[in-house]
Amino acid sequence: MQMPPLDPAILARRSEIVAALRAIVPGEGVIDDLEGMRPYECDALSAYRQMPLVVVLPETVAQVSTILSYCQDNKVKVVPRGAGTSLSGGSMPVGDAILLGLGKFNRVLEIDYANRCARVQPGVTNLGISKAVEHEGFYYAPDPSSQIACSIGGNVAENSGGVHCLKYGLTTNNLLGIELVLMTGEVVRLGGKHLDSEGYDLLGVMTGSEGLLGVVTEVTVRLLRKPTTARAVLLGFPTEAGAADCVAAVIASGIIPGGMEMMDKEAVKCAEAYVGAGYPLDAEGLLIVELDGPPVEVDYLVERVAEIARGRGATTVRVSNDEQERVLFWAGRKAAFPAVGQITPDYMCLDGSVPRGRLVEVLAEMREMSKKHRLRVVNVFHAGDGNLHPLILFDANDADELHRAEEFGADILRLCVRVGGVLTGEHGVGIEKRDLMGVQFTEIDLDQQMRLKCAFDPDHLLNPGKVFPQLRRCAELGRVVVHHNKMPFPDIPRF
Amino acid sequence: MTTSTIKPRSPEELRQAVEWALNDGTTLDVRGQGSKIAFGKPMACDQVLDLSGLSGVVDYAPEELVVTLRAGTPISEVEALLAQRNQMLAFEPPDLGPLLGQEAGQGTLVGAVMGNLAGPRRLSAGAARDHLLGFSGVNGRGESFKSGGKVMKNVTGYDLSKLLAGSWGTLAVLDQVSVKVLPAPDQTRTLLLLGLDDAAAVRAMCAALGSPHDISGAAHLPGKTALRIEGVAPSVEARLKALRELLIDLDAGMEELGTLESRAFWREVRDVAPLKVASGSVVWKISCPPTEGPAIVARIKALRPSAEAFYDWSGGLIWLALPPSADADHTIVRGAIGAKGGHATLIRASEAVRAAVPVFQPQPAALAALAVRVKESFDPKRLFNPGRMG
Amino acid sequence: MQTHFTLAQLADPETARSNDILRKCVHCGFCTATCPTFVLLGDERDSPRGRIYLIKSMIEDDRAPTAKEVRHVDRCLSCLSCMTTCPSGVNYMHLVDHGRHHIEETFTRTLPDRFMRGVLAYLMPRPAAFRWAMVLGRLAKPLAPLLPATSSDPGGATFLRRLRAMLEAVPDKVPTPSPVDRPQVFPALGVQRKRVALMPGCGQQVLAPEVNEATVRLLTRLDIEVVNVAGSGCCGSSVLHVGRNDQAIELAKRNITAWLREIDGAGLDAIVINASGCGTTVKDYGHMLADDPVWAEKAKQVASLAKDVTEIVAEVGLSGIVPRPLTVAYHSACSMQHGQKLDALPKKLLREAGFMVKDVPEGHLCCGWAGTYQVLQPDLSRRLRDRKVANIESVRPDVIAAGNFGCIGNIASGTGIPIAHTVELLDWATGGPKPAALI
Repeated sequence: MQMPPLDPAILARRSEIVAALRAIVPGEGVIDDLEGMRPYECDALSAYRQMPLVVVLPETVAQVSTILSYCQDNKVKVVPRGAGTSLSGGSMPVGDAILLGLGKFNRVLEIDYANRCARVQPGVTNLGISKAVEHEGFYYAPDPSSQIACSIGGNVAENSGGVHCLKYGLTTNNLLGIELVLMTGEVVRLGGKHLDSEGYDLLGVMTGSEGLLGVVTEVTVRLLRKPTTARAVLLGFPTEAGAADCVAAVIASGIIPGGMEMMDKEAVKCAEAYVGAGYPLDAEGLLIVELDGPPVEVDYLVERVAEIARGRGATTVRVSNDEQERVLFWAGRKAAFPAVGQITPDYMCLDGSVPRGRLVEVLAEMREMSKKHRLRVVNVFHAGDGNLHPLILFDANDADELHRAEEFGADILRLCVRVGGVLTGEHGVGIEKRDLMGVQFTEIDLDQQMRLKCAFDPDHLLNPGKVFPQLRRCAELGRVVVHHNKMPFPDIPRF
Repeated sequence: MTTSTIKPRSPEELRQAVEWALNDGTTLDVRGQGSKIAFGKPMACDQVLDLSGLSGVVDYAPEELVVTLRAGTPISEVEALLAQRNQMLAFEPPDLGPLLGQEAGQGTLVGAVMGNLAGPRRLSAGAARDHLLGFSGVNGRGESFKSGGKVMKNVTGYDLSKLLAGSWGTLAVLDQVSVKVLPAPDQTRTLLLLGLDDAAAVRAMCAALGSPHDISGAAHLPGKTALRIEGVAPSVEARLKALRELLIDLDAGMEELGTLESRAFWREVRDVAPLKVASGSVVWKISCPPTEGPAIVARIKALRPSAEAFYDWSGGLIWLALPPSADADHTIVRGAIGAKGGHATLIRASEAVRAAVPVFQPQPAALAALAVRVKESFDPKRLFNPGRMG
Repeated sequence: MQTHFTLAQLADPETARSNDILRKCVHCGFCTATCPTFVLLGDERDSPRGRIYLIKSMIEDDRAPTAKEVRHVDRCLSCLSCMTTCPSGVNYMHLVDHGRHHIEETFTRTLPDRFMRGVLAYLMPRPAAFRWAMVLGRLAKPLAPLLPATSSDPGGATFLRRLRAMLEAVPDKVPTPSPVDRPQVFPALGVQRKRVALMPGCGQQVLAPEVNEATVRLLTRLDIEVVNVAGSGCCGSSVLHVGRNDQAIELAKRNITAWLREIDGAGLDAIVINASGCGTTVKDYGHMLADDPVWAEKAKQVASLAKDVTEIVAEVGLSGIVPRPLTVAYHSACSMQHGQKLDALPKKLLREAGFMVKDVPEGHLCCGWAGTYQVLQPDLSRRLRDRKVANIESVRPDVIAAGNFGCIGNIASGTGIPIAHTVELLDWATGGPKPAALI
């Protein structure tokens, strides 16, 4: 993975930068010894690693602000990091950048049930929010599989989804406000407990901006009341195509399930070994469909979904009998990625999104690619919204396998774009898909995005080397070419 | 002042038109059908850029829950098409035409997106911003670009769709959009609570929304508080019953509206029809934390007793009508919002008043400066709707 | 995860096993969130994933760790919450034991640190010496407030702070030794259904002799013959957790010898352990001695018979219940829920015995006791205890139950709510005396 060349002037000033950071953050919060920085050299995409210049773990917003303004003044790059669970290398360090960890921002600040929102620090875990409000019957809807560990700040940076976003939306649809520190050190608030923006929707832009635009220091999220009942249905199919067909048929019938997930045989095997949820081990494709609402509605919808599934050849139809069993059905799905660690030393988790109607052909083509690249692929994905998570199994101790895995991954993502989909549905571009951005976007598309970046961070100091395949200086991007006195285009109708 | 109109027939002609404007230093008043021209800061543009020549649905895939259409496509055409397949635009874009002194039933879908409009279902389904999946258009450099896509989940690159929604045409001119659609509910019913004052009504609405009964509309009109429940018949029935039980202690009279009555009622709420607006009155839209709504209205009424108001979004949206004044009482309205957060937008006022006072809520300096840099990153020569957002 | 061991390094069986463990880790980070020290400190180095990295680095490079690396490994409670969370099946327990062992072999601690650890490693496995230390400590306890407070920079747990924590942990009254803790046989009250050995333990018989007494009463009442086997004693866990593998192995061998004699003699259906920390270790004897051709099989045999007292009670079933209408907050000791994966069973038994059982919020987090940890890491230990107590008090119980005497003493020091061992409550509900804590 090619990263921007290191700036020797910054490297030469390392001890001075460390001293400046120590003056801002006391105690153990500045880590500059090699051994201490090593645990920070990667996030959950451990195939790519890089030691940072220095790690800093501030505890207050004032410290974050002072750090950023110091970095702006001294042109020092900054890589923000939440819980380090990114699957796209979003928080992978950069050699001449400080790594700014928000792990100490882990308090729930306010819960406002009447206005159905919670104000939390960015290091609070996604599940931590739901846990803090569950005794009142509320929860926070987006639930990425890593929800036990991923931080809400990281969710904002990546616009994380989850198994329930088919019905309840992604992070961006469940976020009310943030406090944000700009690269200048200015602290601004976007949104709050009210809806919509008074001007440009900068909250919307910040969500999913992968740490390139600012550092989030507080998050206000929308809380939802838990549905009266929720039941999960396991549907086992003798073919993957049967399962994929069923997905399209359910949506076409006008049902929007709370979640609709698919796992292939291998994934089912691994997940079952970890949780023992009673998944059918003989199914080639397993769907988990969740339906929620009042009991009468759930019963009605469960019956309709079961009927559709049987019509598409389902060999297993099992409905959860109680809450414990429903949670168990999901536990296997949520642990499915790391559970694959049981059968492979390493995997690469992809995240393409495709139109639902193309699922069957995409899966078939992926199997062919698997043969070509001589690597196994396991599929676990959000079928309801066409968001694929192929896991390519490889052994990082074998350099050739890593290389083949990268090639295979790139082929899958090109396929996703070719059928009308996109490179990433919820994991972010990071470094992993950075060099494929040109497959989906033209140079003009990317230039426009980079100009927006320049509006926030004109010196490209925040999270460099991520998202964009090549950086262009903001001054160059900002130039406007005007051809005066050119003839107006004569064909367009005028009045 | 506006002198002439340019009306491209293809995305490439649109791009050429912008390129020409850039070269010529011509500012553009960008319009679909012009149904909302009476909104925003008055502009003095050299030319009208009329998008009505770029019209029509490009692709509609009901099972994918996506419709792709050209920028000038009338909203009525889209809604009619979706209705054939029992689907809808879940964000319920309001028809503000009559409020803004125009005929009802006009406007384009992209116009609604540009204003990030949303009706009562904003509460549960989001606003236009939440439904715009992707777009293509032309930036202020005369370059065609795109963002987003046609799939439900997409985090590839910055989410420019959010930024464009609500930008009132000041960042880029769109030629095509893909919008998420959802199945329309089988049934729509409404529980009316009678005789609650503002504070009690907002408490009741918040309690209803904090219940598991999936409320998709919560509005309080003088003397009448409405809660909407949608879905399949048995579910609607069960939830209505549970909701009545939840609110039994309020001691308010209760009535129910059936599906047809409900649709009519919520369409009126959506289009701000319940607001008593005299000719010449100014109209404000205030977004605030729901529980703050009644206090904000009370503070305004203490100074302007003739103010008329009703609440949507469980109290989080206040529609407010005030008698005519030279400054639209903007200091009173914005002063009433207080420290708990929120913002007020001047929706209707005479051109002179809109020229004199900030139509959009003024922002702190750091944010305002950032907004200017964002504008320039798309439209460095300020060609599109210059000054419309203040 | 990628590893870089040489073939020579992999020839060492301990390293080879650690390599296998490391290769299973996919660096997903799930474990960080359930780790008590990461929850408190928010630093990757204080999380399982970070420690795995630190340990990997020191054993891969085959070098002495730095003082900072040691500090972060030392902060691990060995609560094993991470292993419950890990979907990839990473055996953190064996890896951190290897790390500690490596530290002990290659790193020179400061003199006061060595002294403190030496004292603990000497006293913990020896009940008689431990009792005398308690008696002396009782005399010195009034001096504790003169020492520096424990609540300071977690990195700087100095000798004096640790000394203070040690003194504060000394009970106000040291109970007299119980007659049940001498080698003997307790016959079943009715027709014998099983025959088991009761692990006598070490610290517990000094600090809480009533637990073994209640266990003997309960089991014999359930028609189980109980043997206190001569020669059995401390399981070795307290020394293992400070990296003294050799000492731990000696203790394990002593127990194995004693129990095998009994197994080959009158026979045993199980080895019953009522301190879950010990249970986790005895159940792991097979691994501890896996590389020793003479002991491997014996160790496996003994480990396979090891059972927590609740497991054996569940096997025969409770009877003769006199319901006590109390609300019990069940504190699931880490060694119970994470080490032995026994979480639901004790609660089920308490419910069957007629108690109203409540789960404690953040139940997966350690109470901070963790053996020698409360002395060696007084600040973190105290913060975790206070957090645990607040969580317990939030469910407003009449009594707290737990299956590990260390947790019991630790939690009791922070709350006024009575706390008893699970077997004391089960004993009471089936006709035994009321637990002392409730009187």
